[in-house]
Amino acid sequence: MYTLVKQESFKLTKKVSTWISTGFLVGVEILFAFLSRIYPQTFVPANMFESLYFARPIIIFYMIAAAATIITMEFQYGTMKQVLYRRYSRGQILVSKWLAIFLYTLYWYVISTGVALLLKAMLFHHTLSIHQGAGDGMSIFTRGLAISAASFVSLWLLLSVVFLLANLFRNSAAAVSVGIIGYFAAYIVTQLLTILIQKWDWAKWNPVTMTLYPSMLARPGYYQPLLNMQGWQMLLGNLIYIALFLGIGYYVFNRRNV
Amino acid sequence: MSSILSVQNLNKSFGNKHVLHDVSFDLKKGHIVGLIGPNGAGKSTLMKTMLGLFNYDSGSVKIAGETVTPQKHESLSKVGALIEYPGIYPFLTGWDHLQLFADGDHQLIHIQKIISQLNMDSYIKRKAKGYSLGMKQKLGIALALVNFPDLVILDEPMNGLDPQATKDLRDLIISESQKGTTFLISSHILSELQRLAQDLLIIDEGSIVQQTTMHELLASQGKQTIMLMTSDDKKARELLKKAKFQTTPDPRVEVVAKDDETMPEVLRLLIEGGVDVLDVTRLEGNLESSLLEVLKQSRIKKRLAEEQAE
Ligand SMILES: Nc1ncnc2c1ncn2[C@@H]1O[C@H](COP(=O)(O)OP(=O)(O)OP(=O)(O)O)[C@@H](O)[C@H]1O
Ligand SMILES: [Mg+2]
Repeated sequence: MYTLVKQESFKLTKKVSTWISTGFLVGVEILFAFLSRIYPQTFVPANMFESLYFARPIIIFYMIAAAATIITMEFQYGTMKQVLYRRYSRGQILVSKWLAIFLYTLYWYVISTGVALLLKAMLFHHTLSIHQGAGDGMSIFTRGLAISAASFVSLWLLLSVVFLLANLFRNSAAAVSVGIIGYFAAYIVTQLLTILIQKWDWAKWNPVTMTLYPSMLARPGYYQPLLNMQGWQMLLGNLIYIALFLGIGYYVFNRRNV
Repeated sequence: MSSILSVQNLNKSFGNKHVLHDVSFDLKKGHIVGLIGPNGAGKSTLMKTMLGLFNYDSGSVKIAGETVTPQKHESLSKVGALIEYPGIYPFLTGWDHLQLFADGDHQLIHIQKIISQLNMDSYIKRKAKGYSLGMKQKLGIALALVNFPDLVILDEPMNGLDPQATKDLRDLIISESQKGTTFLISSHILSELQRLAQDLLIIDEGSIVQQTTMHELLASQGKQTIMLMTSDDKKARELLKKAKFQTTPDPRVEVVAKDDETMPEVLRLLIEGGVDVLDVTRLEGNLESSLLEVLKQSRIKKRLAEEQAE
């Protein structure tokens, strides 16, 4: 398994797009840090830091694309056969791809958090402290980490769907579009969702609600009564749906003709 | 000792389209086996099923005694393959590919060995997106062979190779088979296969029509032909026609030999008729005509059997 994950990571590091997108992400963080320094009224330094200088949505789009292509690339280049007719089982191949994407997600969060800390130290050394309170007994630093963790979890909910679709359609366009729609879906239908949830309590357990987990952590007072859910319920729901979608994808992958 | 590859009563369908019918055969260790048959006969499907790429309806595939299924196939560590066309990552170099698929001990030595055997040094460090058709094909073959496996399965390996590369590949296959590697090779380039394969599996419409050796097939179908070079081909042809010898439509003068008597009779006839014979060659039966004959016969038999069944 270690070998397989290493091979998947090797392919990722050899793609030019990996390095271009890393450069782009760092560029965006730098841009927003400077904006926040120059226009602190519009781009409030504490909030900007908490949002990792706008890195999170970019990471989500990157990861949706990466999860789709790590599967569909093999079909597109005709390499899936070669990858499969080795001693490794189908399950091992798929799990190694999940793990590689998991590590890749970590890579992005570590990079973006590191860059955010660096920018804070360079541009807001005296004006902003990461230990500054952010309500609920959290500092902006711990709050930032908590939101990152939550967005990591709900990102994986999206990715588990993307993996499944990439597997079914062998086509990254379909998988990526559904992933991105999924990302916006929750914001678009929040109103409808809250109406439904007020009417039938069980409706809150649908997967779209789960993607609001990071928003709920960012504004607990606003979302909790609206969705009628606690943080731990959201976490649990996310984990169950992730397991479910990955499980279906695993089943499909094991049974398909290549 | 169990054979390196054993297929028993294999059946495979796509939906309600039955593609492989009760396919059974064994491969002998160290042999080069040709898998031949018309387009759509099921050659690639058979190979993919053996490699665990397809689910199958019934029967079994065993490599070195271990069953292969799409879900589990550890015994494929003993196998290298190239099916249909090579899968190439455009963003990796040839070397990266070999590194990615090298397995087991002595990886670096194996990589260097296969590169020099297939003469790929000049471009192996370049990104594969710039490779020509033949370069990609060679890389695909190198990937199949890089682990120096016990069994090598090649589907149309000579596709797009130049004469030098074809010869390099032939030499490599023969030398590896002498060391004990078994090869299963499908190809439509029969002249090439005739120089390589010892055993033959003939497949048509998803069934094995005949499992034989190259020698036996050529001998059994060996309608020997006598080719003549004469001082006057036109006159020679007229004489032969009058004497009711069977000739071929070939522009050269060719006579089909019915038995050992044909050659002396033909020579006597021509010399007595005043035509000088400059050269005489006996043509061996070739794989192409033998294959076509076997396929024709088997289809006739199959139709008859179907008619009787009705
Ligand atoms: N994925 C698939 N789905 C449905 N039918 C298929 C599939 N792959 C192959 N077939 C059918 O199976 C039959 C055998 O195809 P196969 O590719 O094995 O032929 P082949 O002997 O390799 O032919 P060729 O010499 O042209 O390569 C054909 O009738 C083909 O239409
Ligand atoms: Mg084929």
